[in-house]
Amino acid sequence: MNDEKPEIKKLYALSSENRRFTFSLPLKNTIRIGKRSYSVTLKSDEKFGTYILLKNRKYPVEVVRSRQNRYEILFNDISYTFTIETPFSLKRLKVLRSYSGKAESEVIKAPMPGKIIDVLVREGAAVLRGEPLLILEAMKMQNEIQSPVNGHITRVMAKSGTNVMKDDVLIEIKVE
Amino acid sequence: MKIKRLLIANRGEIAVRIISTAREMKIETVVVRNANEPDAMYVSLADIVFDNTEDPEEIPVFLNIGRLIEIAIETKCDAVHPGYGFLAENAYFAQKCIENKIIFIGPSPDAIYKMGNKTIARELAMKQGIPMATGSRGNIGNEEEAAAAAELIGYPVIIKAASGGGGRGMRIVRKPEELEKMFLIASKEAEKAFNDPSVFIEKYIENPKHIEFQILGDTKGNIVHLGERECSIQRKHQKLLEEAPSSALDDDLRELMGSMAVRMARAVGYYSAGTVEFLLDSDRNFYFMEMNTRIQVEHPVTEMITGIDLIEQQIRVASGEALAFRQKDVRIKGWSIECRINAEDVQAGFAPDPGKIEKLVLPSDPYVRTDTGVRAGSAIVSSYDSMIAKLIITGTDRKDAIRKCKLALDKVWIKGVKTTLPFFRMLVRNPVFIDGTFTTAFIEKQLDKYYLNSEYEEMLAAWLATRLFVDENLRRDSISIDYENGKEMSPWLLNKRINQF
Amino acid sequence: MDLSGKNYKAFIERQEALKKQYSPANAEKQHSKGKLTARERINLLFDSGSFEEIDTFVTPAQQTVEFGKLERTYGDGVIVGHGKINGRLVFAYSQDFTVMGGSLGLVHAKKIAKIQEMALKMGAPIIGMMDSGGARIQEGVASLSGYAAIFHNIINSSGIIPQLCVIMGPAAGGAVYSPALCDFVFMVNRTSYMFVTGPNVVKEVLNEEISSEELGGAEVHGRKSGVAHMIYEDEENTIMALKKFLAYLPSNNVENPPVHADDGSTPDINEKLRDIVPDDPNKAYDVKDVINLIIDRNSFFETAELYAPNLVTGFARLKGKTIGIVANQPKVLAGVLDIDSSTKGARFIRFCDAFNIPILTLEDVPGFLPGKDQEHSGIIRHGAKLLFAYSEASVPRITVILRKAYGGAFIVMNSKSLGGDFSFAWPTAEIAVMGPDGAVAILYRRELAESKNPAELKKELVKKYRDKIANPFIADELGYIDEVIDPAVTRKKIISAFSALSNKWVKVPARKHGNMPL
Repeated sequence: MNDEKPEIKKLYALSSENRRFTFSLPLKNTIRIGKRSYSVTLKSDEKFGTYILLKNRKYPVEVVRSRQNRYEILFNDISYTFTIETPFSLKRLKVLRSYSGKAESEVIKAPMPGKIIDVLVREGAAVLRGEPLLILEAMKMQNEIQSPVNGHITRVMAKSGTNVMKDDVLIEIKVE
Repeated sequence: MKIKRLLIANRGEIAVRIISTAREMKIETVVVRNANEPDAMYVSLADIVFDNTEDPEEIPVFLNIGRLIEIAIETKCDAVHPGYGFLAENAYFAQKCIENKIIFIGPSPDAIYKMGNKTIARELAMKQGIPMATGSRGNIGNEEEAAAAAELIGYPVIIKAASGGGGRGMRIVRKPEELEKMFLIASKEAEKAFNDPSVFIEKYIENPKHIEFQILGDTKGNIVHLGERECSIQRKHQKLLEEAPSSALDDDLRELMGSMAVRMARAVGYYSAGTVEFLLDSDRNFYFMEMNTRIQVEHPVTEMITGIDLIEQQIRVASGEALAFRQKDVRIKGWSIECRINAEDVQAGFAPDPGKIEKLVLPSDPYVRTDTGVRAGSAIVSSYDSMIAKLIITGTDRKDAIRKCKLALDKVWIKGVKTTLPFFRMLVRNPVFIDGTFTTAFIEKQLDKYYLNSEYEEMLAAWLATRLFVDENLRRDSISIDYENGKEMSPWLLNKRINQF
Repeated sequence: MDLSGKNYKAFIERQEALKKQYSPANAEKQHSKGKLTARERINLLFDSGSFEEIDTFVTPAQQTVEFGKLERTYGDGVIVGHGKINGRLVFAYSQDFTVMGGSLGLVHAKKIAKIQEMALKMGAPIIGMMDSGGARIQEGVASLSGYAAIFHNIINSSGIIPQLCVIMGPAAGGAVYSPALCDFVFMVNRTSYMFVTGPNVVKEVLNEEISSEELGGAEVHGRKSGVAHMIYEDEENTIMALKKFLAYLPSNNVENPPVHADDGSTPDINEKLRDIVPDDPNKAYDVKDVINLIIDRNSFFETAELYAPNLVTGFARLKGKTIGIVANQPKVLAGVLDIDSSTKGARFIRFCDAFNIPILTLEDVPGFLPGKDQEHSGIIRHGAKLLFAYSEASVPRITVILRKAYGGAFIVMNSKSLGGDFSFAWPTAEIAVMGPDGAVAILYRRELAESKNPAELKKELVKKYRDKIANPFIADELGYIDEVIDPAVTRKKIISAFSALSNKWVKVPARKHGNMPL
């Protein structure tokens, strides 16, 4: 049986401060500011690098990192993080949020005794799954401890230059 | 004695600055190339490069007195310019230069020493009748003395390191119960930072403005002041933006404070460039704080409104020349603002953001001066400061200068590291900044956000994120597979594969 | 023909009834949990209008209707069929949780078995989207047999057609063997889980309270057990990734993988490659930086990213052609091999071998992880798996040694003597029986003990060792590696090497199968 394919008609860009920007598909290269639409172009050249052209003005832009549907964009020297959601995934987020009353916390413990060489994050920083948190030197090997989850750093107990034992708590992350 | 060749014992933008003036004066410049930044801009601009990249640098070369003297002698330099920071206010270094018959571009070792020691400086100021915040006489030896001094002065007080500044060894104490703890912390910090745990105590002046006067003197006893600089825009004792002149001073106050500054300088027989710092409270009372016996980062704003090249003057004075002007000849015209563009992440509390500068385009309008030590491709390394460029804007008056600031800031294009540009773009639109009534408490206490949120800029960023998502996932042709191609394989192989089982 | 005639009336009535079964209210049951319906998943996966469903109107085996509630539902809880994904034929089944909890009964299992057999006959990939409460209790042994038949089919097709599994809901008890036996498992975070024995039984038998999520959620299987290879935050992203992933794979084990258009944006020669390996041999770097500079832009699809991160596996493209990459990751555990990474690597290599995907190995391995844990848990056996997998693989195999390649680990990581086709080394490579510190300590034990300044002497000897024994030029001159190359030309070299190997054929020994350590 062939029923209609659920064509995705619009996408939402959710900012880290929960602001929502809606874009209809197919995605046009225009933006609405106030009552008017302006054309937006993404360009790149030798002198300026990548930039967005709007109303004859160039804005420096950089994609700092991206993972699945999460993008960190540096636009005109300010960083923004967005997740791109379909109408359904937005609904899903709401459902999931209603499930977990308490905020889940992920505790990062030292996997083995060693010395902390470098702490790469600070409190409040956002992390993505797989991103490095700190470097632990053990048995003459440098070991990068990565974040297992997407979230925000709530506490950094690890200090660069200190020795730790196995299972010492190093970092606490609030899971998103 | 005429200086023909000059060693610059510094790096970054000040090295570039000194090279620029030296070139105009037809003086040869020698710089030191080090392993931390072998391809730095200053290296390619100097006349002679001393390659120190092999040096393991247990002491960073710019702090290594012995090494620098060696280099100066080896490269046959007549003089050394220490720039700012590093050894610029190290009396011992100045002394060693002189002993080795190298002209030190700065004041006498004695002046450096006296003004470098805050307790001695205070004593001198007191003797000279220069207004200052009441404070302890001499250094505080222990907690009891500290408590007694604080009682006498009256809370709130500030504990300060005798041998250095920049916020280290400094603690504000508002309640007597906290004094002992703060005293110990401050002494420890002072010891760590300056190798001298000595501290003294002063009355803490709440929310003052930080006003400093540029001093210039020659070896013949002529000392002038070149007006003030408004440096109250600070965060954690680091200056972010400076102006000349200050909207808080009228001609009378300027003349009064200026004369005090000159008096202070004269008390130590000062020559070369220097800066006398004051705090100005809301009742127009001013208090001497300290004197910096070097050229300062923010010197350009003074240069722009007086038309005097301070580096040039320093070199002339060091050569034995007399100043070509007297106090009455100094005229101030226009208004100048300097924004320090650093590689720092404003959204992360100004945390340094080292990295490589991929693109750098600076405005070239007539009202903009850019002093920089980096170019596209330069690395901002964590072993040195995070300065990218100083943006110095000059206008006819303050309003005009601020207006031009807005324009200039939007023309700065830096890619590769995060910068403090969003902070300045916000600042020049902030009403407190615009009316000029801000104090040193402004940045840390009266601002809740260090950048402006522009709705439509955020929307553009959101659009880009969406565009990327669509291109990666939803476009029919984002996966352009040629299925037939996979089927074409040599008969040799196909035959083998099919018949293998 | 009279469309309002009796024959057509029945036809249309049935269609209406189906529509009613799949009403919006029905869909809401899934949506309210943040999940898509089985049908929606199919529609997202397949190209618009290309999906042909079969056995739509089957009804459950008699038992269900007799024992328990009467449910004349169509489909028996699973949607099966075929369609085109980005233009290529693929078979799929999608379990429907809204129909009897997606539970597997006789008819449900038969449908899946039917589609599996078709996929095998047509030589096309098959995708299973699991969202099921498990075996249908009412149907008893018939359900269990149903599972067995499905597993048997997976095994019969294993290595012949790619079989992918997506876990989008519960998969408990026997049901978990489908993903276990499939080639790759995709899992949706927070709304799916897998375990052999559920929390209820765990509570009963062990008196231990544990949630489904903690016992067998996506995090667990992605990070700890390694059962799930790819984890995504929501279903749409999972399906989109699945489509991207499929584009790397051939339809069956006779075809070559499909060729993608290469936009030519990756330079064949890139000097940045020279800067990646630090001068200090104890300093780490990210091997993915190397990978991204030598493959076609944005073409790296990592598998099992969160499991055994000290070994990176994944697919990529070189001038549009798929390759599999196995690379030691120096910044995690210094890139040592251990039990988890050995099994991860071995399975990946065997998949590539089965499906004619050439393998590129990037080597920087100081050895195996020492310690009682590893030894007692059988690192010997597990390390041997990796060795076996490489040696047995008859696809083109190229190794580039980036830095360390010591001892047993050097042998294991696709050395030439194991049948590796080409072995290149960067000038920073160190190939030796063991690292300089260990070697010097053994060879010069007496001298070091007698020395007045052992630290100085050791430093000197280590340098000598690096220069004389461990440098790659020796291995090169002795023929154990083919060439020491300038890192900048790595891409160019491997493309040309793979091109030379495109018709590689090795006769596999005539035997039922080897006895791989397990």
